[in-house]
Amino acid sequence: MSMMALNFSCKALLASLPQKYHKRCLSQLTNSAVCRRRALLFDEEEKRQRSLVGRVQKMEVNYEGAPENCTLVMNQHLSTPHDCAKHLSEAILQKAALAEVDGRPWDMHRPLSADSCTLRYLYFKDAEPFAVNKAFWRSCSLMLGAVVEEAFKDQYYVQLHSFPSPNVRSGSFLYDVQLPLDSWQPTDQELRVLSGMMRRLAQRALPFRRLEVPQAVALEMFAENEFKRSQVPSIAQQSETGDRVTVYRCGDHVDLSRGPAISHTGLLGRCSICAVHRIEADSGPLYRFQGVALPSDLMLNHFAFGLLEDRARHLNPSGSVAASGRGDTAAAEAASG
Amino acid sequence: MTSQLGRLIPQLRIPVQPKYRPLRNVEGSYGRLKNLRSTVTALVRDERVEMQYIRLDEARGYAERLIHDAILHGDRDTHTMDMANFWLTEKQLIHKLFKVLAPRYAEHRSSFTSLYKLPPAYRENDKGAPRGVLELKGNPFPPLRDGSTDRKHLLHNVLLDEARRQYRHKKYQQLAAEARAALADSSAEPPRRPSGD
Repeated sequence: MSMMALNFSCKALLASLPQKYHKRCLSQLTNSAVCRRRALLFDEEEKRQRSLVGRVQKMEVNYEGAPENCTLVMNQHLSTPHDCAKHLSEAILQKAALAEVDGRPWDMHRPLSADSCTLRYLYFKDAEPFAVNKAFWRSCSLMLGAVVEEAFKDQYYVQLHSFPSPNVRSGSFLYDVQLPLDSWQPTDQELRVLSGMMRRLAQRALPFRRLEVPQAVALEMFAENEFKRSQVPSIAQQSETGDRVTVYRCGDHVDLSRGPAISHTGLLGRCSICAVHRIEADSGPLYRFQGVALPSDLMLNHFAFGLLEDRARHLNPSGSVAASGRGDTAAAEAASG
Repeated sequence: MTSQLGRLIPQLRIPVQPKYRPLRNVEGSYGRLKNLRSTVTALVRDERVEMQYIRLDEARGYAERLIHDAILHGDRDTHTMDMANFWLTEKQLIHKLFKVLAPRYAEHRSSFTSLYKLPPAYRENDKGAPRGVLELKGNPFPPLRDGSTDRKHLLHNVLLDEARRQYRHKKYQQLAAEARAALADSSAEPPRRPSGD
């Protein structure tokens, strides 16, 4: 069965739900419109920050690793590790998941700011890939958020809540979402549609773009999402300057996250959205979307992956959503995620 | 009868290609043998050789058999000495075979050689036949493979490890619950019996 057919059947299934679920029609708020508006705001802010760079200054990047150590002269506040990789090799460009600048994990699409720095690339097959694994899990959550926002018909206004700090050992990556549905239990086919949408997002190989925006811009970006709006101030407080919020963009989807994220969505290999659990939070009932995925570099036979899928079907208790202290920790979790 | 004869010939410890490889040569089958002979000689002399993969794979069996015979029969055996004389075109290598290689591999329980495939390389005037490396085990050169085979922190292995741990934990709990139930049954049985009657 083709992905298009699955997607269509999912929407048909959702449309066939009883009329009482159609309350949100009146609000006129649609996810696609909100998504477009956020992307425009992101573009504007990015353009503004580019214009602030002013005269281009050169910087030295000391690259360590294969094929050989070398020094690159790049543009300060403009060049990213991704740009550096373009001078080195196409294999690095495709396979590097994360960069390490002066020993710290650094997004592939984040401009380098120091006068001179050392640069390494991190891969999924490194002997100690902790930072990469964590970034991958986080990126999977971000992609899941993008997919969930896109999956439902316009009459269902989906509000993303947050996802807990990524923990690979928990067995599944998560996203907590508020849906205007009372007791929704997804069918196998609907879950397969979500997995298929993740695959299609991966095929587009979209870069994860990072931007630090002032609190006011972030509040404007997430004006239509009551959860994110309430999380923004405390995230801004935790930042160094007290007024910066980090957002990530993948395609047209913009989300709050502390980062770092992987280079692009094409690094997602096998992926399966396994379960959706209804959980109770202080702000009302939420749906916890759970999935499991592997990078495209790592091969696993279908039986072993089936075991991972089985495990990912059970409710993942990460982030203590069920606990009463959710209201206090929500922003911190969103920030850590 | 064939099975009894088979025991007289030591079994090769390497996978053998079921298909005969002609290794085409202008001199016909004699030329093929000459090529293989020079390959075996080069292997015994240099301990590591790089050339066409199929030629190495073909020569490997002859080298293995030669070393195995040298270990089993020693240099007093006429047939073994004849074989060594035929396969090693440089005669000083016959001493190496019996005095160096046979003692080196006397206690070995696996094959005496390792064969690797090399990645395809761009070469201008070459059709690009796959190439390989054949080496004697225990040679003095640095190893071809790097030692970094630590894959336990890769994402799929972390996930599988945790799944395995959870499965075991569940099983232990199940066993403990069964044992507890059995214990409760055995302790509860005597008082129950009168009430059941």
